[in-house]
Amino acid sequence: MNKIKKTGGNRKYTVFWPIVFVAPFVICFFLFNLFPILYSFQLSFYDWSGVGEKTFVGLANYVRIVTEDKMFLKSLGNTLFMMVISFPFAIIFGLVISAFLSNLKHGRRFFQTVNFLPYITTPVAIGLIFTFLFDRNTGMVNRLLELLNVNGLNWLGNPRLAQVVIAIMIAWKYTGYYMALYLAGITSISEDIYEAARVDGAGALTIFRKITMPLLKPITIFIIVTSMIGGLQLFDEPNLMFNVSTTSVIGGPDRSCLTLLWNFYDVAFGSTAKLGYGSAVAVCIFIVIVLISLIGMKLMNRKEDVI
Amino acid sequence: MKKGSKIFSYVILAFISVVSLFPFYLMIVMSTYKTEEIFKGLPFLPSNYFMTNMKTVFQSNFIGSYVNSLLVSILSTVVCVVISAMVGYGITAYRFKGRRLLINLVMLTMMVPVQIGVVGYMIEMRTMHMTGTLMPMILIWLANGFGAFWMIQFMQSSLPMEIVESARIDGSNEMNTFFRIVMPCIKPGLVTLVLLIFLWSWNSYLVPLVFVNDNSVMTIPIFIKSLGNAYRTDYGAQLTGLAVATVPLLVLFIAGSKNFIQGLTAGAVKG
Repeated sequence: MNKIKKTGGNRKYTVFWPIVFVAPFVICFFLFNLFPILYSFQLSFYDWSGVGEKTFVGLANYVRIVTEDKMFLKSLGNTLFMMVISFPFAIIFGLVISAFLSNLKHGRRFFQTVNFLPYITTPVAIGLIFTFLFDRNTGMVNRLLELLNVNGLNWLGNPRLAQVVIAIMIAWKYTGYYMALYLAGITSISEDIYEAARVDGAGALTIFRKITMPLLKPITIFIIVTSMIGGLQLFDEPNLMFNVSTTSVIGGPDRSCLTLLWNFYDVAFGSTAKLGYGSAVAVCIFIVIVLISLIGMKLMNRKEDVI
Repeated sequence: MKKGSKIFSYVILAFISVVSLFPFYLMIVMSTYKTEEIFKGLPFLPSNYFMTNMKTVFQSNFIGSYVNSLLVSILSTVVCVVISAMVGYGITAYRFKGRRLLINLVMLTMMVPVQIGVVGYMIEMRTMHMTGTLMPMILIWLANGFGAFWMIQFMQSSLPMEIVESARIDGSNEMNTFFRIVMPCIKPGLVTLVLLIFLWSWNSYLVPLVFVNDNSVMTIPIFIKSLGNAYRTDYGAQLTGLAVATVPLLVLFIAGSKNFIQGLTAGAVKG
């Protein structure tokens, strides 16, 4: 403190205060984010159950993931499939709802809050309620189908249908969140631009396509990138729905709802408690997330040139 | 034409809102049913079992878990938001060595999910003798990539630096400036971040699943999963517990709904 006073006022603003303000984040980041990840990375070269001696096994864990362990690839495929059939719908619905909402004078706050509710509902509750809705015998969805003279489906027992149910759950949950983000973006577009377009005789649809959508592009990129990162971390919903303590089989019917993180959790903390191998799985998930995010960002940039 | 499209908007929105609300509504209605009754008919209208379910819920470890969840969420949120706001201010108000590096670090943190390091985190917490306490569920929120990213974005787009400059000229200490002048200026951004971090930590599932090993540190999501016994899962009671557990979130989001969108606008628009 004394030293800084001596060196004059300028140093205060280039060294002392920046450190004060930035230090808490940096310290916590190193202690509780970076260190655990690096430690996991180190563990991924060992065979260890959490107690006793660690055995160094080199790349054996990684070799096993690539050559022997079918679950890693399967969980990757499951996760990607469920992402692809859910998030695009959530994003499109979110955009459309926000466009409708932005035209309203009355009741905007009301609709906005109501549509945001699914996002704040605890995943545990969502899992339970969807289990009721899609139950084969007593679920409402099948009863409605029967009213229409269609045979009820075995939603939670069929591998593909179970994935569809998870996807519906995700689309239902995230639509409101994306709506809020888009709504924020639309609010920030200057009314003058719209006025000018209207004077030029542009219709509502043209305005939406030629003005609103392009101006919302930064938000769309933000949403797509975060939804990819979030989608690859899918865990709560499938786990809560299909993690039944009475069976030892995890991942739902035919393990079709076993996601990357669920597989990781099961390997590291579930039945086997293989911390070293689990860490290797985590590192692979990390690589997948980085790769897919990079590809995503690349694709987005290419699209930019087209529009 | 114009009036027609307005009515059309309302009809569409009303329909979508019903779809949004339906499962939420079911949660409330089903919480008034006896578990066995839920499966018998279509539970559209409230039944009379709510008080019994409430009794079941409150006779168990519900209050303890509720307090735990509140502690975890409040502490995580307050500390995380202050730390995020500080780093946001640090990056906005100063030019210093390593500033660029720090911004990239924040971006990277946002991309890397904390779950990736949870094995290392667990061993770290065990070494620090923090398992069996609520600390592991709080500490993981402190350096939140999204929070820091959010505050940096928000301050760069909507903190008027002239105010800070004039406070400096008036001889105000930087800490003082930050808490007395900067924080009130960025209220919408703070509200948005408070709501999101509270929501995420309240609903957090994976990390508690790893760390909760006895009743004393249970949080709500883990507790609800454990309701009932080996022979009968008490869905009615579970849903009652969940309905009660949603109350704090509901209150927060309704109270903050105006600031929430305002905050999102300034924070997210620059993406």
